[in-house]
Amino acid sequence: MRPVFDAKDLARYPFLQEAQAKIAGSQLENLETFLEGEVGRRIIERATDRLESAISLPPQALNDHFREFHARIPNALESLYAYGMARVIASCTGDRTVIERLIGYEAWRSAFYLSSEADEEKRTEVARQLGLEVSGEAVPVVRYVEMVAGLREPLWRLVNREVKGGFVRVHASELDVLLRERIRVVIRGRGLPGVPPEVCALLAPAVGHVSGVLQSQMLRDLGPIDESRYPPCMAALVAALAGGANLTHMGRFALTAFLHTIGLSTTQIVEVYQRSPDFDIEKTLYQVEHISGSSGTEYTPPSCATMETNGLCVNRAALCERVGSPLGYYRKKKGGPQQAGTAGRDPPSGSSG
Amino acid sequence: MRPSTAEFLHQRFLSYYAGAQIPAPDALSQREWGFLFFSSRDDPRMRRHIGFGTKDELVEYLRTMAPAHVFYSTAYYDDPAAPTMSAKGWAGADLIFDLDADHILKPPFPSYPAMLSRVRDETRKLIDLLVVELGFAEHELQVVFSGGRGYHIHVKALSVRQFTGQERRELINYVCGIGLDPALLLRPAAESSGGWHGRQLRALEEYLDWLESLGESEALAHLQSIPDLGRGMARQIWKRRRSLFEMTDASIRKVLRPLLSEGNDAWRSRIREAGVMADEPVTTDIKRLIRAPGSLHGGTGLRVTVLEPRELEAFDPLIEGVVFAEREIPVEVVRDCRVSLLDHDLQFEPGPTRVPEAVAVYLCSRGMAEVGGVAP
Ligand code: SF4
Repeated sequence: MRPVFDAKDLARYPFLQEAQAKIAGSQLENLETFLEGEVGRRIIERATDRLESAISLPPQALNDHFREFHARIPNALESLYAYGMARVIASCTGDRTVIERLIGYEAWRSAFYLSSEADEEKRTEVARQLGLEVSGEAVPVVRYVEMVAGLREPLWRLVNREVKGGFVRVHASELDVLLRERIRVVIRGRGLPGVPPEVCALLAPAVGHVSGVLQSQMLRDLGPIDESRYPPCMAALVAALAGGANLTHMGRFALTAFLHTIGLSTTQIVEVYQRSPDFDIEKTLYQVEHISGSSGTEYTPPSCATMETNGLCVNRAALCERVGSPLGYYRKKKGGPQQAGTAGRDPPSGSSG
Repeated sequence: MRPSTAEFLHQRFLSYYAGAQIPAPDALSQREWGFLFFSSRDDPRMRRHIGFGTKDELVEYLRTMAPAHVFYSTAYYDDPAAPTMSAKGWAGADLIFDLDADHILKPPFPSYPAMLSRVRDETRKLIDLLVVELGFAEHELQVVFSGGRGYHIHVKALSVRQFTGQERRELINYVCGIGLDPALLLRPAAESSGGWHGRQLRALEEYLDWLESLGESEALAHLQSIPDLGRGMARQIWKRRRSLFEMTDASIRKVLRPLLSEGNDAWRSRIREAGVMADEPVTTDIKRLIRAPGSLHGGTGLRVTVLEPRELEAFDPLIEGVVFAEREIPVEVVRDCRVSLLDHDLQFEPGPTRVPEAVAVYLCSRGMAEVGGVAP
């Protein structure tokens, strides 16, 4: 028999069908009145808090955070609505980082409850709804790959697993992490609610606040732009441009994605390319805009492995041994003691592996 | 290429496309197409962002244009003909593996037939791994002779169609053995001879045998040349080469990390050989164009040929990939070369000669010969 989830369970595992139905069923007659009412305001506030934590807390701090603030759920229904509202606000920001961080946060949050779920039946049912019924401690390859793509440790790489007949062997002790990553995949796969502009307008203060939090977090993470901290590969690409060389497609892609991610504006990136003698403004603008995601997909700069495959990893420095990507190099390079708390951390999305 | 040679090839391709059955890829209307044409100028410009609603439109295009090279997107798009990648609306992509002589062999390259048969071996290895280990069904695999120096495998499984580049990287890294952690050797495995556990173990045995065969001083020199592996550790490894696994877990870990790292060329090349030498970027790129089966490869004149995995064994690209006839054509060979095609095995020196049409097309597309001033 399937276990019955109560309101608290739904607040813990808001991705469950039952929870989704409840959120969908809450379509209030008059959104405007609701949002301005006291309950509405409280929910917006709770949703904004969630987003703020999602953006500013590194994953390793999340469990402590949940233990402190989420162990008890005083008002289960409001908590569930706050989950939905946070998604609405994230959708209004239209920012992929906000969205990814929220997804990561929610995955860690539900996993936090799941790891201490006393009711074995509920745990099994949650896993079932996630499509992760682990039979005989083996997970189908495709499922597995979706789950671990964001995990960094070598231990998770498919190449380091026992793989046979389309199944990956996993150990019981690894299930908590895999469930968490599976929740991430499921939430991400559902996409965000499409929010009509009028509703976003009503939420403008919250949306603005969240975007502001993200801005300052990004700047804190990366610090001011500093060319002296570029990894050797990127420095070489810049030098090659200045020296009149024609970069390969991959070279241009890597450099652009890198510069964009450390915070250069489109104009600043185009300036870098201007150093090249065969500079073509239109082509460059197009590429820069494409890579920096004005079209919706943002490209993450390639990892060291990809750089190496493409012959772009040159003049390796000592620090290179300790990083997985040119961006990691840049982060570490500037991670002085005053930044030990934030420098080099993973975003909760874990997508930088 | 002389204008007359370009014209000759164009004519021959026209005649092929006039009668050929071209298999359209599934979801044809969601694919982007790109073409290169014969030209005497050395500046091939690809015409891309082209879409076809129906197979008839595609066939019509090929019959009129007879391109030198025909590519379509491994990706599915909402609007494949949109002029920019971002406007196309990516909706998934087939999973592709590319096996190319350039990545498998090092120069000096052997003869073309030898090269192709080496790549075929590698392709077989890949099919095996995809089926036995990764669990794809054989009917989900389409093997394609590229018409050039290798084979492509298209995995049509729906389950991987939405995979991101990063997820595809997991698969290609598995296939190639990239990112192997030596500590894997120490983890208990249900079946220690299978998968990468077994491959790594066998590679290690071979490597240690090779080390032994070098003799002490050369072996030590080799070991010390490995980054992060000091003199002391080199000595220790040499001494323990026959009893590595008798050390404690902790100390063997310390030894294996630097020893079996990417920085050790002799080890890395053994691992690459143990895996499949596929071209990684082709797999991770989710917006790539790939040669269309049934089309001709303008650099050889051979047909891009689709095979069932089990047909690969008996497939001879230099017979079954040939679509032209025996009619004799006068050509002017421009450099020394040797050609094995159909049942011909011909040696050429620069100068005028007459060869069967199939050989003429091959020589001309590869830039080894020109057709005289008058079109035949
Ligand atoms: S190791 Fe990474 S950061 Fe260092 S040069 Fe190579 S690609 Fe750049």
